Amino acid sequence: MAMEEYAKLISTVSLSLILTSYLVIELRNLRHSAYAYILQALLMCSLFVIFARQNPGLYYWAVTAFVTKGVIIPYLLLRYIRRTTDQEFPPLIGYLGSILLVSLIILVLYRVTHHYIDFLAPTPSATQEPFRTNLAVSLTIFILGLYCILSRRDAIKTVHGLLVLENGVHLSLVSLAPLLRETAIIGIVTDVVVAAYLLLYIIFGVFEKFGSTDTFQLKGLRW
Amino acid sequence: MNPEILYLFGIPAVAGIVIFLLGNRSPLFSEGIAVLGSIITFLLSFHIAMSTTRGEVLTLFREELRMDALGGLVASLVALIGLIAVIYSIPYMRKEVKKGVVPSERLRSYYGWIMLFVSSMLWAATTNNIIMLWVIIEGTTLASVILVAFYWNRNALEAGYKYAMLLTVGITFALFGCILLYSGASPHIPSGLDPLKITEIAKISSKIPKSVVLLSLALLLAGFGTKSGIIPFHTWLPDAHAEAPTPVSALLSGVMIKVGAYALIRTVTVFYPVYPDHIKLFIVVLGVLTMLVGIFMALMQDDLKRLLAYHSVSQMGYIIAGLGVGTYLGIYGGLFHLLNHTLFKALLFLCVGAVSSVAGTRLIHALGGLGRKMPITALCFFVGALAMGGIPLFNGFMSKLTIFLACAKAEMLWATVLAVLTSLLTLFCLLHAAYRVFMGKGMDAANTPRNEDIKEVSPLMWGGMLVLALLCFAIGVYPQMVFPILDASTRAIVSMMATP
Repeated sequence: MAMEEYAKLISTVSLSLILTSYLVIELRNLRHSAYAYILQALLMCSLFVIFARQNPGLYYWAVTAFVTKGVIIPYLLLRYIRRTTDQEFPPLIGYLGSILLVSLIILVLYRVTHHYIDFLAPTPSATQEPFRTNLAVSLTIFILGLYCILSRRDAIKTVHGLLVLENGVHLSLVSLAPLLRETAIIGIVTDVVVAAYLLLYIIFGVFEKFGSTDTFQLKGLRW
Repeated sequence: MNPEILYLFGIPAVAGIVIFLLGNRSPLFSEGIAVLGSIITFLLSFHIAMSTTRGEVLTLFREELRMDALGGLVASLVALIGLIAVIYSIPYMRKEVKKGVVPSERLRSYYGWIMLFVSSMLWAATTNNIIMLWVIIEGTTLASVILVAFYWNRNALEAGYKYAMLLTVGITFALFGCILLYSGASPHIPSGLDPLKITEIAKISSKIPKSVVLLSLALLLAGFGTKSGIIPFHTWLPDAHAEAPTPVSALLSGVMIKVGAYALIRTVTVFYPVYPDHIKLFIVVLGVLTMLVGIFMALMQDDLKRLLAYHSVSQMGYIIAGLGVGTYLGIYGGLFHLLNHTLFKALLFLCVGAVSSVAGTRLIHALGGLGRKMPITALCFFVGALAMGGIPLFNGFMSKLTIFLACAKAEMLWATVLAVLTSLLTLFCLLHAAYRVFMGKGMDAANTPRNEDIKEVSPLMWGGMLVLALLCFAIGVYPQMVFPILDASTRAIVSMMATP
């Protein structure tokens, strides 16, 4: 594949990753949001495969990400959504306001990180394309996940946000740590799967005791 | 090759798994395995701490696991509080079952998770791999989530959700920080050596680009700082520490937040010589603010466990401030306070557990006059309060004095003044609570359980409390007894710092 086409492919997939984060956050139906998460996971896997041409170690990441992010975590999410409710508890920020805010975050953050990549990139090669784009996309997705956690009332939606946030960090491994050993990779993804499971398990407990997954009801303990 | 490192966290992990697999036979089986596993782990940790204090560095799997004196110190504290908490749990949890608060079949899950929790903290003290350090620190959170929400009522679930969510989000920042450090260090590490090893990163820390180091340190402070209860990331702490069963609170406040501080020491202090002024001053400011916010919040509490939890925030401020000063004296003071806080905070939580178990409430205004009926608990609580308040002859005095001196010698007199003020407020707050609970007028008739039910708790509960109280007193009277391990640990940290 010619270098130009290669770079174009990476840019397209990276842009799609941002769009899927957008969908995970903004879709009000939790089930649809989970489907958008699966799409994001698959796109991430394909990006790992594309980058693996340069660093074959990334094939391992692609397989691990597929199993955990593409299969196990969506299974857990959909299972608990089925046991609770698939309609997100409405967030404080309305639909239009949220879309505008997210668009603003994406535009500003992506432009700034892409431009001032030297501050973030630990090695000279990370400042070059396609790693430059990859790092900027990683940080954008990370902040979008954080935005979702902070702005959403629905507990299951905050888990979606957490998963997007984690995807942002994991995506940066392509540029920052392509030669990471298998034990570390397995450790990282195991933590994410267990964290998602335990959070959903507790949220199900909250749903049973409080009758909803609205985090605003969790106000018994203050100060 | 020192396989005992593997046994150190392997034994409690195996004990936990055995309890999960076979613990449905009877609660006695779960209790027995947990006690047995904890005793062996404690003896092993003691043996390891003796070796590391002598200057030995234990390693396994080509330095993937590595224990120096600091690792030995943290591991022995985890194992000690783990053992005391497990023994204390036997009468405590049986009573909870008897009261109908906890179904007896859930005891298996309780002891299983406790052993995995202890194992994860011990593992954290042994790893030399920067990414695995992150993995295991997050593992300590995951192993304790179910314990925090164990009572499965509204408050416990709220605390459990906040605990899991805040710590997982916080710690993800640290993952970014760890990856950046690893990535920045990789090109400078000679081929054949492993850039994931903290000891290798430390050697070349001055070669990593400054902007990357600063960004990494900010991310690490946010991530591991959340775990250690540093402000503004402390909000999970009072909820989780108050709502968990008391032996778990003793573990959370006594040792888990110290494991967060341990991760900070391993990853942040190595950069001190490269960036002397900015980082140190920032960390001292963070420590002092944590002290002040913690103590002011503690002063407003009526719930004894929330009060102690906010004191944990405040006391972590001392540890962080000491470590932030960055001199031998400052680090020594920080580690000394880390050790002391482990002892007196676990002691105070266990005392409050004894009170709430007998009196059925932990609200200060509803308690009173328990001292005559629970003399050992009262004595232990007063020892803990005086130790934390920094009164001479108790251990807290010596470590706080070291931190005051370290701040003053580093020309941060403002920090010393604020730390002394916090100490006085701590003493007032705790003595006030102790007086109300143990010496004040008797409990209201409406809140009082039957009079004959108010009596001293089981020796299995007060035994551990008494051991901790004696240690607080012994270290206060003869602080030289812990000098070798603290000196060796401080030297281990200083030797990791790269020359600029």
